[in-house]
Amino acid sequence: MVNVGRDWLLVAVAAVASLALVGAYLAAGGSSYAPAKVQDPCEPREWRDPGSLEEIAEQFSLSALDGAACELGVTRETLARALATPRARERFAERYGVSEAELARAIRAGLVRAVDDAERAGAIPPLIAGPLRETVRRIPLDQAIELVNDASGLLDEAQNFLGPAQGLLEQFLP
Amino acid sequence: MSEPRPRLVALAGAVGLVLADSSIVVLALPEIYRDLDTGVAGVTWVLVSFNLVLALSAVPIAQLGRRVGPGRTAAVGLAVFAGAGVACGVASELGTLIAARCVQALGGAAAVTAALELLPANLGSERRAATVWAAAGATGAALGPAVGGLLTELVSWQSVFLIQAPLAIAAGVPVLAVARHEAATGVIASELRRTGRPHLLANLALAMTSAAIAAALFLLVLLLIEGWRLTPIGAAVVVTAMPLAAVLGSRLGSGVASAKARAAAGAILVAGGLGGLALLPKAEIVLTLPPQLLVGVGLSLVLSALTETALEGRSPQAIHGGWTIASRHLGVAIGLIALTPLFTADIAEQRRDAIASGTAVVLDSEVSPLLKLEVSQRLDDRLEEERGKVPTIGPAFEPLPEDPGEREEVVQLRDELQDQLDRGATHAFSPSFGLGAVIGLLALLPIGLARRVEL
Repeated sequence: MVNVGRDWLLVAVAAVASLALVGAYLAAGGSSYAPAKVQDPCEPREWRDPGSLEEIAEQFSLSALDGAACELGVTRETLARALATPRARERFAERYGVSEAELARAIRAGLVRAVDDAERAGAIPPLIAGPLRETVRRIPLDQAIELVNDASGLLDEAQNFLGPAQGLLEQFLP
Repeated sequence: MSEPRPRLVALAGAVGLVLADSSIVVLALPEIYRDLDTGVAGVTWVLVSFNLVLALSAVPIAQLGRRVGPGRTAAVGLAVFAGAGVACGVASELGTLIAARCVQALGGAAAVTAALELLPANLGSERRAATVWAAAGATGAALGPAVGGLLTELVSWQSVFLIQAPLAIAAGVPVLAVARHEAATGVIASELRRTGRPHLLANLALAMTSAAIAAALFLLVLLLIEGWRLTPIGAAVVVTAMPLAAVLGSRLGSGVASAKARAAAGAILVAGGLGGLALLPKAEIVLTLPPQLLVGVGLSLVLSALTETALEGRSPQAIHGGWTIASRHLGVAIGLIALTPLFTADIAEQRRDAIASGTAVVLDSEVSPLLKLEVSQRLDDRLEEERGKVPTIGPAFEPLPEDPGEREEVVQLRDELQDQLDRGATHAFSPSFGLGAVIGLLALLPIGLARRVEL
């Protein structure tokens, strides 16, 4: 009788220990892992209220990445990593079967979307959005990639151009 | 003939050595697959081939051994095991290594089954012999990964195999006297008698629990090395928790007479431990210790109880021992064959998701815009350098910004990103650990039926 009790005690202790461990790990979030969601690059993304040239440049870059990634059917994150170095670009082209011309077309389309988004968010005025759009449509691939990575130079020049023009407009417009 | 005591140690050592070999290579696998330029799926066959050949050859070799004599069988088996171990150590191609492992398993099968025939003469009873034989096997299997990890880190993966040759020869020397005695007397043929049927339910339960235990050992090691980037020696230290717990398990089991209760408790603990590994809340080593404790105690209880059940009252011992070896190692091989594609597909998918979400975390962060783009781009180089491993992303953030505020933000971002990648890697192993837990629980069915339906 004593032996039978000890036998069952061993099985009961094993069951309780196992359930306690599984329960504790479940309670600590053991089954809740989900990778952070990656947004569809074709969906419009909210621009944060841009307060400085640097922030406008950042949002411009992210919009351009979104636009180009949407054109290529990849995520913005994949494209951002692909534009790191010429070697990374080669690996990306090989993995996704994208030619140099297709990549250039997609990045230019992304830059056009960035200008559109910036104009819509009030970050750049319509007066310079048009010429800027035309410029990025013709830009060579390497310069387009540089622009995606850092648009502050271009935006700075645009703002410098706009300064006197805006003063002039304010004089004549009601 | 040599003295019984050294021969007892030699025989138990031979059993431990051969059965350790089914798992000793686990911690060396990542090194082997990088060195021999193969993948996880390919290198798994270094493990699978040994277990499969051991499983398939154990009973036929045990039968052959009864005709030739256990002394001669053990001596030849250990010599083949030693020679094949050297061939494994000098192999420069995966195919050669796998072929040598198959030969090693043949030698191992001969040594282990013959040892069970020789042990009663040293211990006085078949029951005690079965207990020592089962305990030596369980200890070897549990210690294997830790020893393999230490050797891989301190010397090389080749040393894991090369060191087995002198050990096998040392174990074979005391057996030679028995072999000579058999040759001189020719007593073997007259001892042949009819073989009873194997204990199907105990052997089925052994196969199922062995599959679950293989999942625990193999997957935990890969998680530690490939997922959490531990060195083999670091992983060896971590998985030492399992054999230590197995020692505790053997003490717990010694106070319980019912083999059925020990087997049931052991299977529940193995399933519970695997369930815990499937539900690790964070990528932290300390969280692997409670599940390892359960698996270690469980494996000691269940393997020894089921082996004793399978051998009890059955004769000849070598043949029935052969059946238990066949069941255990078939279970290991099937477990590895079934789980490897599942987790290799999962780890590739989880790695992709974790990297994408990690890059999203960087791009959406508050750190300097130019820095975040640069970092997300440097990540690609890190991923390429690590070739399939979950990367340490620290170098992608170097040098850290000088401004203290920005530096703090970047460090926080780096830690958040590494956490994403580590959790992704951990989660990739969850379905495989979960499947192992289910297999462990299903072993309760044959264990429960064992007394009612005696086959």
